[in-house]
Amino acid sequence: MSNNKHWQSFGELNNSEAFQKAAKDEFHEDLPFVADDKTFLEAVAPRRDFLKYLGFSTAAAALAASCEIPVKKAIPFANKPEDIVPGVANYYATTYVQDGDTVSVVAKVRDGRPIKIEGNELSPVTKGGTSARVQASVLDLYDNARLRFPTIDNKEVTLEAVDKSVAQALSGLGGASVVILTSTINSPTTLEVINQFIAKYPGSRHVQYDAVSYSGILQANEASYGKRAIPSYRFDNAQVIVSIGADFLGTWLSPVEFSKQYAKGKRINEKNPSMSKHIHFETVPSLTGSNADDRYLHRPSETGAVAVALLNAINGQAASGIGDAKLKAGIEKAAKELSANKGASLVVCGSNDVNVQIVVNTINEALQSGGKTIDWSVTANYRQGIDSDFAKLVDDMNAGTIGALLVHSANPAYTWYNADKFKSGLKNVKTSVCFNVRKDETAQLCKYVIPDHHFLESWGDAEPKSGNYSLIQPTINPLFKTRQWQDSLLKWSGSTSDYLGYVKNYWVTKLGSEVSWDKALQDGVINPASEPVPTAASFNGASNDGAVSAIASLKKGGNYELVLYQKIAIGAGQGATNPWLQEMPDPITKATWDNYLVISPKLAKTLVDIDLNNAGQSDSYEVHPDKKVVTVTANGKSVSLPVLIIPGTQENTVGIAIGYGRAKEVGRTSDGAGKNVFPFAGMNGNTVSFSVPDVTLTLTDETYKVAITQTHATYDTPQGNRTEVMKELTLAHYKKDPSEVRDEREEELKPWGGLENFEKQGTIYPYFDKPGIHWGMSVDLNTCTGCGACVVACNAENNVSVVGKGEVARFHEMHWIRIDRYYSGDLDNPKVVFQPLMCQHCDNAPCENVCPVAATNHSSEGLNQMTYNRCIGTRYCANNCPYKVRRFNWADYTGADSFPDNQDQTTVGKLDDVVHVMNEDLSRMVLNPDVTVRSRGVIEKCSFCVQRLQEGKLKAKKASRPLKTGANDEWDLKVACQQACPSDAIVFGNINDSKSAIVKNRVDNHFREFYSIEQVHTLPNVSYLAKVRNTYDEPAKAEG
Amino acid sequence: MHLKYESQLREPLVYGEKDFHQVTEDICRPIEAKPSRLWYIGFFISVALLMFGVYSIYEEVIYGTGQWNLNKTVGWGWDITNFVWWVGIGHAGTLISAILLLFRQGWRTGVNRAAEAMTIFAVMCAGQFPIWHMGRVWMAFFVMPYPNTRGPLWSNFNSPLLWDVFAISTYFTVSLLFWYSGLLPDFATVRDRAKTKLRKKLYGIAAFGWTGSTKHWQRHESLSLVLAGLATPLVLSVHTIVSFDFATSVIPGWHTTIFPPYFVAGAIFSGFAMVQTLMLVLRKVYGLQDYITLGHIEAMNKVIVLTGSIVGVAYLTELFMGWYSQNKYEQYAFFYSRANLFSPYGWSYWGMMACNVLSPQIFWLRKMRRNLFVTFFMSIIVNIGMWFERFVIIVTSLYRDYLPSSWSIYYSPSIFEIGFYVGTFGLFFTCFFLFSKYFPVIAIAEIKHVLQTTGESYKDQVGNIETQQVEEFAHEYAH
Repeated sequence: MSNNKHWQSFGELNNSEAFQKAAKDEFHEDLPFVADDKTFLEAVAPRRDFLKYLGFSTAAAALAASCEIPVKKAIPFANKPEDIVPGVANYYATTYVQDGDTVSVVAKVRDGRPIKIEGNELSPVTKGGTSARVQASVLDLYDNARLRFPTIDNKEVTLEAVDKSVAQALSGLGGASVVILTSTINSPTTLEVINQFIAKYPGSRHVQYDAVSYSGILQANEASYGKRAIPSYRFDNAQVIVSIGADFLGTWLSPVEFSKQYAKGKRINEKNPSMSKHIHFETVPSLTGSNADDRYLHRPSETGAVAVALLNAINGQAASGIGDAKLKAGIEKAAKELSANKGASLVVCGSNDVNVQIVVNTINEALQSGGKTIDWSVTANYRQGIDSDFAKLVDDMNAGTIGALLVHSANPAYTWYNADKFKSGLKNVKTSVCFNVRKDETAQLCKYVIPDHHFLESWGDAEPKSGNYSLIQPTINPLFKTRQWQDSLLKWSGSTSDYLGYVKNYWVTKLGSEVSWDKALQDGVINPASEPVPTAASFNGASNDGAVSAIASLKKGGNYELVLYQKIAIGAGQGATNPWLQEMPDPITKATWDNYLVISPKLAKTLVDIDLNNAGQSDSYEVHPDKKVVTVTANGKSVSLPVLIIPGTQENTVGIAIGYGRAKEVGRTSDGAGKNVFPFAGMNGNTVSFSVPDVTLTLTDETYKVAITQTHATYDTPQGNRTEVMKELTLAHYKKDPSEVRDEREEELKPWGGLENFEKQGTIYPYFDKPGIHWGMSVDLNTCTGCGACVVACNAENNVSVVGKGEVARFHEMHWIRIDRYYSGDLDNPKVVFQPLMCQHCDNAPCENVCPVAATNHSSEGLNQMTYNRCIGTRYCANNCPYKVRRFNWADYTGADSFPDNQDQTTVGKLDDVVHVMNEDLSRMVLNPDVTVRSRGVIEKCSFCVQRLQEGKLKAKKASRPLKTGANDEWDLKVACQQACPSDAIVFGNINDSKSAIVKNRVDNHFREFYSIEQVHTLPNVSYLAKVRNTYDEPAKAEG
Repeated sequence: MHLKYESQLREPLVYGEKDFHQVTEDICRPIEAKPSRLWYIGFFISVALLMFGVYSIYEEVIYGTGQWNLNKTVGWGWDITNFVWWVGIGHAGTLISAILLLFRQGWRTGVNRAAEAMTIFAVMCAGQFPIWHMGRVWMAFFVMPYPNTRGPLWSNFNSPLLWDVFAISTYFTVSLLFWYSGLLPDFATVRDRAKTKLRKKLYGIAAFGWTGSTKHWQRHESLSLVLAGLATPLVLSVHTIVSFDFATSVIPGWHTTIFPPYFVAGAIFSGFAMVQTLMLVLRKVYGLQDYITLGHIEAMNKVIVLTGSIVGVAYLTELFMGWYSQNKYEQYAFFYSRANLFSPYGWSYWGMMACNVLSPQIFWLRKMRRNLFVTFFMSIIVNIGMWFERFVIIVTSLYRDYLPSSWSIYYSPSIFEIGFYVGTFGLFFTCFFLFSKYFPVIAIAEIKHVLQTTGESYKDQVGNIETQQVEEFAHEYAH
């Protein structure tokens, strides 16, 4: 090995100091995190720093990538309006008006949006009651199908343009008359506006047209009393009520008002039990007929004969002309009962035949009803249309004598029996203007469409009954470019005032001062100074004989007769566009989203070969939603509809509901729901008749799915009558043995120490005290009419999802409260009971202990609580609920789910369009911000309106006083169903407060009180009061 | 020489002139040979079914439980029916391995491996249903009681559904351990025979370093006994707890104290039927007739007729109690919804009766017990019947309970409910095909164990001994 030194460069050879330094510092810039004196690997924590940088950059990238979250703006008030506090509701008194139906209401407005309608308790007419349609009307405000701007020939124009164009058209009519066609108008100012317009255009006239008119009554009253008016009926003054096909609790005239009155007669005082007696004659089962104490069936063509026979029987003659023995006996009994209660009895009739109504007037006169149960001092202004006026208008239109037609809130192109004639007449009208809110069948045909406001956006007034005024004030700025139709009229008649100014001026003048006007606006109603005293009107019986002979000469009905009826929710089609109403089960048939052919069990046997007495056949009919389709043919028209077998239908009669089969343009909600049967109606003399005396029925091979929410109809089973579910008894029984219900309960609970000890001895678990507030509810089955107002009120209050027909047919409806309908007795003409059923808030709830994650549990106030965000959706609670009130979100009905694009399923459970409609931004404005919108996969159910309970408790707390739930009729809170109920059947409150209404209700009625299937030891907090029926029949004694 | 003496009259448990090597060869053959065409076809059909199941679940998770036809009244249908059905099937394996081990039933060795595998796969299938039947399956972890940040929220220990979670998961764990510990020596055998590196490595890992030392064997035997002791109560407890889902509820038809024993008997019943179905196919396809003998089949058929009759007595007892209680709700459930052939679901009750109670009675005849075709047919029938039983219990009770107003429309499954069920078959058979290809389907070590005492050749030997003259015997064994 040599010692030669090898060098690479001269620098190295010389190895100067400078070179050495340069060589050492060749990479003198260190890596960033290394301290100067250390190498990279010796640094404190390079790995951790690296992870920090990695973490930061990953987070930053993730954040940047996830910025596609839709931006939702919540903009605070720049200047907060004085009277709007976010989260606190404002209430405005206003009036629900639709086609003459008038109900004084209070609108709840949250953050500028009306979200709920309550009855106005200051109104002496409706006394705070509401109906399903009133409750649902708030959703109409946010209806996607509302017209959003004025159009000329379907093209959007400005208001100015349309005003100009209409003014031109009106001035160029050349003397041809102008007709204002409206539904019944009972607004005093509107009538003045119309008159002002008519004065401007001489020769013009105002025609009122009601889809289902009361011209029979109006004209009969003209003949009998000389007044073309409808008196006030006072069901509360009647001991005996006989109705010949008048569905006064459901659809006839003013059901909210009548329900209140009717409930008065049905409310039982335990100490001195007495009840009004209600006898009902009808053809297909109605809500009112189902509530009757005794119910008799007749053919539609016999309506007049029944009235005449009743008159004869009252006059002491034989009830002649009636073939059916049961019916005849019924008429005789009714006559006897009526005669025995002269001055405290009332006969009403739903027929639109003038002659029949004249006979009814004669009966009422014979019973001295005038001034007692019929009050002529106050007339009811709900319906004023005269069919013959409208028929004449249609003739004039066809003759070409009408130059301009202004249509408001009337839809004869759909509702008139001869719509084709109206349509062809409309073609002859040069100028047609429509103020309807949606593109309905009539609006489609009109040249000018200037949509009206919704009533919650409007100013106005109404006079439902003479002397009773109700004011309308807006609760929200108009959502669209719409205008009140009165403003249009004012403008076109050359007035400079707008309608608000007009209304205000009218009332300030009338009331005397602006202060009174403000007060009236706040109250929402202007009431007569004193309670009206019922007064009779002078009766002229001259027309009676003619009427009787006209009835006698009527053609006898054929083999099968058809009757067209209105459903409570849908009416004559007004409710068809409202998802809540479409999904509200019909009280009798429990069907939703469709109309169908109602037939009797007897007819079913021959027509569709289903024998309801055969358990197997009846089961298979019940459990399959696919129903056989039958074609109904009459007068050259035919319609094919599915058949529903409804006990209590007259055996030769079939019924179909009107109001379905709307045109596609009317809206996505009503599109495809049912079929239009208005064309089956016909003119009978001067009035429209909604029955067809002779139809042919043909069974087809098809079936059609009907979405029904309840299959089984009786609580009687081959294995015993389930009397623990629901209790009913007759008045006679009740008088004889008031404690019957209580004894029955005592007997049932005997194995566990009877009523007294059941709570403690019926379980192996220890007993717990329930101090503080304990919520409870009581439902009086005697006053509940089953009208369904509570169902819709609950939908609105609790954001209950609409699921559409497809899902209802799969038994997926989400209603938190339902009304169970049970039949008892004779299959052909059974008794009907309605039992509203919501979560029973059991103190020993079977649902609570089975949830694996404790998502449902009990509050210290007795509430069975549901924690949505804890729920994992095992449905075990729903299975174990003996009341089956728990509802599962089978699909993403609300769009609240975190999974995107999960509403477009096609293979199974395709969601109906209405679900998407309800999820649109506009529809969602109706949601109650106090209630969580539930997402897919969780269970929900009645919460006893816990948001209202909290609010009520806070109210009491802020005032430093105990909570008031009905003590001295003072309420800090009412739950939605209770508040909506027109017959006050539901009482709610704190059962630990001895002064509360609920405790009073239970104590006062302790003989009738019961809990549904209480032997299961669920210890429900909802009690019921047994139904007592003032019937002649002896009900089949319940067996254990 | 074994100390055990077995009568000549007993059938041998292993046929043929087998020595230990032959046994190993027979059982390892499928593992080492290329799978047959039939195997591929079967495997791909299974995977296809599994994929359909995965798709069905996907639909259900994306769109919600509404993809099934359950409704507001019938909250459980095919999902929980299938759950209980699979859990029931999963009972035979552990029963065979654990209880029969404790009872020293030698015949179990021919079938225990495959039966245990079946148990594991069946429990895997069963587990799918309670998981995916949840409306919000992504929140399923809420059922686990673990320290969390959600404050005092904890699972509800009162809920039978929570008991299920523990029962099933415990059962699964113990069954898996038991199965796997039995597999160790056999994996070692396969490893030692492996011809490729990869096989050697993988089976080596699977064998946990088994060397076959006496210490290993001694520990192995002890572990088997300990696990058998643990598993035995589980066989009884799992289905007892599953039955509590129903028995502790208030629904007429569910609220029944007879459920625990009746469910356990039913589970064993259906489990054995499933074992029969699989074994009959397996022995045929893999030519294992010498190991899974007619004697095995007959023994299992005896269990089937016994448990089937227990179940039958339970059905009749239910009916009797329905009448005796005079409870109209219960009477309705039993006499109208179920026993009435003309009610909407009457067919399912009578289908159950025919399949579970009547048809197994055929096994009182020895000839039938030993008839392969009858056995195979019956094994299918029994499992159909047991499916009906769970369907009857769940659906006919739920669809008409207390309030007639809530009685349901006719519930029948949607395509995705069927798809989910079919998918679990896919899962089951995919697993089983893989098992039959890669695992020794008969416990090699254990069969060798019984071969010494109860194999045919041994019995012949013993027979010879018995007929030998004393001198001859003394001469032969005079070492």
